[in-house]
Amino acid sequence: MLRYILQRSGYMIVTLFIIVTITFFLMQLLPGTPFSNPDKLSERQLELMEEKYGLDKPVPVQYITYIGNLLQGDLGLSFQYEGRTVGSMIGERIGPSALIGGQAVVIGLLLGVVLGVISALKHNSFLDYGSVFIAVLGMSIPSFVFAALLQYYIGVRLEWLPAALWKDYSHSFLPSIALSVLVIATVARFIRTEMLEVLGQDYVNTARAKGIGEVVVILKHVLRNALIPVVTVLGPLAVSIMTGTLVVEKIFAVPGLGEQFTLSILVNDYSVIMGITLFYSALFIFIVFVVDILYGVLDPRIRITGGKNDG
Amino acid sequence: MKKLLLFLLLSSFLLLITACNFGDETSSEQDGDDGATETENDSSEEEGTSDESSGEKVINLVEESDIPTLDSSHAHDGIGFTVLNNVKEGLYRGDENHTPQLAMAEDHQVSEDGTVHTFTIRDAQWSNGDPVTAHDFEFAWKRTFEEVGHYNVMFETASVLNATDIINGDKSPDELGVEATDDKTLVVTLENANALFKQLLTFPTFLPQNQSYVEEMGEDYGTEAENVLYNGPFVLDSWSHDQEWTYKKNPDYWDASAVNLDQINVNVVKETSTAVNLWETEEVDRIELSSSYVDQYTDAEEFEVIELPDIVFMRFNHNLEQFQNANVRKAIDMAIDKEGLTNTILNDGSLPLNGLVPLNFSNSPDNHEDFREINGQFNEGTVEDAQALWEEGLSEIGSDGFNVALTVSDDENHQKAAEYIKNQLETNLDGLTVEINTVPFSARLEQEKAVDYEMVISTWGPDYSDPMTFIDMWVTDGPANRMDFSNEEYDELVQQARVETDAAARYELLLQAEQILMDEMHIAPLYQGAYSMLTRTFVKDVVHHPAAPEWDYKWADVE
Amino acid sequence: MMANQRKEITDDLFVHEPLEEGKAEELSESPTSFWREALGRLFKNKGAVMGLITIIVISVLAIAGPIMNSYHYDDQDILRSNLPPLIPGLEWMGLDGTNVDGVNIYEQQGVTDAPAWAGTDEFGRDLWTRVWKGTQISLLIALVAAFLDLMIGVIYGAASGFYGGKVDDIMQRIVEILIGIPNLILIILFILILEPGITSIILALVITGWVNMSRIVRGQILQLKGQEFVLASRALGSSNKQLLWKHLIPNVVGPIIVTLMFTIPTAIFFEAFLSFIGLGLQPPLASLGTLIEDGYQEMRYFAYKLIFPAIVISAIMISFNVLGDGLRDALDPKMRK
Repeated sequence: MLRYILQRSGYMIVTLFIIVTITFFLMQLLPGTPFSNPDKLSERQLELMEEKYGLDKPVPVQYITYIGNLLQGDLGLSFQYEGRTVGSMIGERIGPSALIGGQAVVIGLLLGVVLGVISALKHNSFLDYGSVFIAVLGMSIPSFVFAALLQYYIGVRLEWLPAALWKDYSHSFLPSIALSVLVIATVARFIRTEMLEVLGQDYVNTARAKGIGEVVVILKHVLRNALIPVVTVLGPLAVSIMTGTLVVEKIFAVPGLGEQFTLSILVNDYSVIMGITLFYSALFIFIVFVVDILYGVLDPRIRITGGKNDG
Repeated sequence: MKKLLLFLLLSSFLLLITACNFGDETSSEQDGDDGATETENDSSEEEGTSDESSGEKVINLVEESDIPTLDSSHAHDGIGFTVLNNVKEGLYRGDENHTPQLAMAEDHQVSEDGTVHTFTIRDAQWSNGDPVTAHDFEFAWKRTFEEVGHYNVMFETASVLNATDIINGDKSPDELGVEATDDKTLVVTLENANALFKQLLTFPTFLPQNQSYVEEMGEDYGTEAENVLYNGPFVLDSWSHDQEWTYKKNPDYWDASAVNLDQINVNVVKETSTAVNLWETEEVDRIELSSSYVDQYTDAEEFEVIELPDIVFMRFNHNLEQFQNANVRKAIDMAIDKEGLTNTILNDGSLPLNGLVPLNFSNSPDNHEDFREINGQFNEGTVEDAQALWEEGLSEIGSDGFNVALTVSDDENHQKAAEYIKNQLETNLDGLTVEINTVPFSARLEQEKAVDYEMVISTWGPDYSDPMTFIDMWVTDGPANRMDFSNEEYDELVQQARVETDAAARYELLLQAEQILMDEMHIAPLYQGAYSMLTRTFVKDVVHHPAAPEWDYKWADVE
Repeated sequence: MMANQRKEITDDLFVHEPLEEGKAEELSESPTSFWREALGRLFKNKGAVMGLITIIVISVLAIAGPIMNSYHYDDQDILRSNLPPLIPGLEWMGLDGTNVDGVNIYEQQGVTDAPAWAGTDEFGRDLWTRVWKGTQISLLIALVAAFLDLMIGVIYGAASGFYGGKVDDIMQRIVEILIGIPNLILIILFILILEPGITSIILALVITGWVNMSRIVRGQILQLKGQEFVLASRALGSSNKQLLWKHLIPNVVGPIIVTLMFTIPTAIFFEAFLSFIGLGLQPPLASLGTLIEDGYQEMRYFAYKLIFPAIVISAIMISFNVLGDGLRDALDPKMRK
């Protein structure tokens, strides 16, 4: 096991390195410069600025400089927000994104499991169709519409929760709810499908025959086995939700990472693009690794560490 | 084991919450100091009155993005300029009528030939107690060149001695024509007399910086509210990046008695729908509407339209044979119903534009007539007139029609305009087909600069309040030309206007230049923009300048 | 990890028994009866049948809708700008041509020609025509993207999970790299190299779209390949190919269908997002995503601009999901009685 973890960690570093390299070169192909207000910059001014920031050098030289700084833990300075370090920008922005995302995952998981279980146990009944309807409706209404409706009805009309801005903890509720819709739908749909599959298997009947209570059977035997695909999707989904989502952050005026990332790509803020890419991929790769380990925990029959012939 | 897990989960969650920079934390500290903001949190319904009862005058605003930097050498966008203009002050400040008035300078003497300007700095102090001196100006201006600030070209526009050579790399920043002869006296030398000089001095690139403080801060200068010194009507009390910032009245400002507001809170809100909801819950006192909300609020007493001098127009690629023909260009311009575009499609207060310089931007020096009204509307006519021009133009180039690609960037209003223009041109001009080509803003700019497009929807906003900011775009090979337009007579007129010291004669030259460009419709102007704003009726006297810096809150008040 | 210590059942424990020609087919059932049976089960499922009917109706309308009235999807007329929906005979449903303030815009503007059944946008374009034109495009994009995701994702995921070991390692690292590179950069480059339009949108969708599918399939295969029936089948001499296609994939149908159901709205809204940042469909073409995007901006005052496309997309989604569930139930080998 230890050997496996070490091996995977090695892979992780190689993978990250490849991602950084490819992103760096692709990014340079994007049209435009990283300087703000390029509309008003003359050619000469542009040349001077490129010289100052080392952008006049050939791309491979810039790449080596970047990697060199990266190895010393220096992510560089933002072009758009002059003087601010990319590290501090990510640090400031990740908190709000992770909070609303984390809450969304928890809400989504709880509600999703409930809906999924009801759906599976009452297969093809009105309760089933009702749950499918709720889960799917949440998914088929785009998040910006849903977020805007939530904000208007709960924040403005009823004034139950703050409509937007980021002032205290209560401001995180509406964005979390808006984000949880996708999680609810995902979890509910997968739980339903998998539970139906598991419910038909022999060991469930055996368990029932042994006189174990229905609730215990469902929780211990059925649900646990139904979680495999949920874990597969939820891991990466949680990463992408918790590292920020453009739409929800924009609508609720949350100072999160997602909006920043899209913007940095559209305005060519090179160092910010690289910083967030690195951060996001590292997190993603790590979660995928955790998911692979979890497979073994959830279902001992899965052997991820070896191929079909060894072991 | 499970309990440990649960504990870890809970504690990491708590850690997360504390790491979230909720804006409240900073403001609750201040609550202890004055206790006034607290009442405001409790009863957000009647903000204006509750503030008055506690004696504090507070307004709440929104901006659509964060402040990029507070370093005046690097500042490059409208939000940064507005903030700097309210927390710092240069030699001149634009007043309610946009006329430059002496500010940090209490006296301004000009030599007879108009090239040597001697300023006497008034008794004023930075927010750390240091006096503001002439050296602060000299240092800041030279530093702008050392740092290659975005707007160091403003010094060139202002004809400051050696600015051009420094940008070209022929001279060092040290040789800029500015010198503090003592703490109180600043001498600025110009290459030639410049009619715009006073006007330009209100621009934030000309702000002073305290040398010892800037050097102490190093790279961190201007990145946080605590990392800058203030000498303006307000100080920046707090700044949570991408979230909010707060201005407080500067008690040490030389003209503090003219400042009425005690505090201004600015929240970063990127979506118009969100701003509208915050307006509805009375959390903010002033918002800008997008056209989709105008119908809803157009009858409200808080609704107002502020015309902007920003122009939106189409560039024709002058290398293409069909666009070298004046009649073709005129037909295309005339075939578009610009009033339909502004009143029905955009519906946000934008005005149709039939010239280069926008309406209500510049008045002639002698009889104060609007530039646009003197030169009138160019190329107005009916659809039939347009079709006649089109036929004529086509026969001149020996073609029976062509397909044209219209490049447009991803701005909502520009895309709407493109959709409308496509339909108008295809319906009104036989044989013309238009293909819309939407690209990201940076790609549009790159295509423009390489003149690699056929027609493109472009914009231009003024850098200063003078028609020259639009006129000098079109000189041969000028950086803003971007369509390979070249006209010797035009270049000549612009050159004369640059050095002409008689205001009336200079204005005449600018008028003539516009006529050359517009008589043959080398560009197709579409509209000039506007803000549709909602402002609480108790908010008074917020000043909007046509050119940067946009907003001035110095005289603003709550009634 | 104690469970892993037990002695693995490896191939060399078994003696290969040559199978008589045709015996294998006898063991499994003939495919025709399987499909017929599945179809029978599908049609017994009321929800699935309703879903199927709705999809057919929407598809027919997507083709026929734009030609049901005299307006083309790009007919602009600013005299007809922002007309509320009006269907003569259906006034009681609220389709009476009045705006939120209860003013009849048709009377106010003196519009006398054919009413707009679903209203018009600010350009005066007929929304009925545009919604169905948009449905056409959205369905096309979603179905093509879903099909490509399915093909690539299932093959990639199955191979990775089934072969395991080094192959799995390398294939998974490639996936991680693909996900790590910000796809917005890829998409912008794509669209600048190719022309903006439907092809580049679909390609942009597919670059990373299939990854999710492949991960699901891989996870399931990993779980299944250790199970008894796989070992049994292997013992009976099934080749890898047979094992994969006859035993493993059919058991993953459930999660595959569910994932596919997520691909469709993702594709539709991703397309809207691309259009939003100026990289998607070139106007005046519309899709459900862009119509919703536009309608959302004005949902307070011109609610109808949002409601009609939203109803269509929700109907599409719900019917696809119910149908998908039905299909899953019908195809699942374990559900057979």
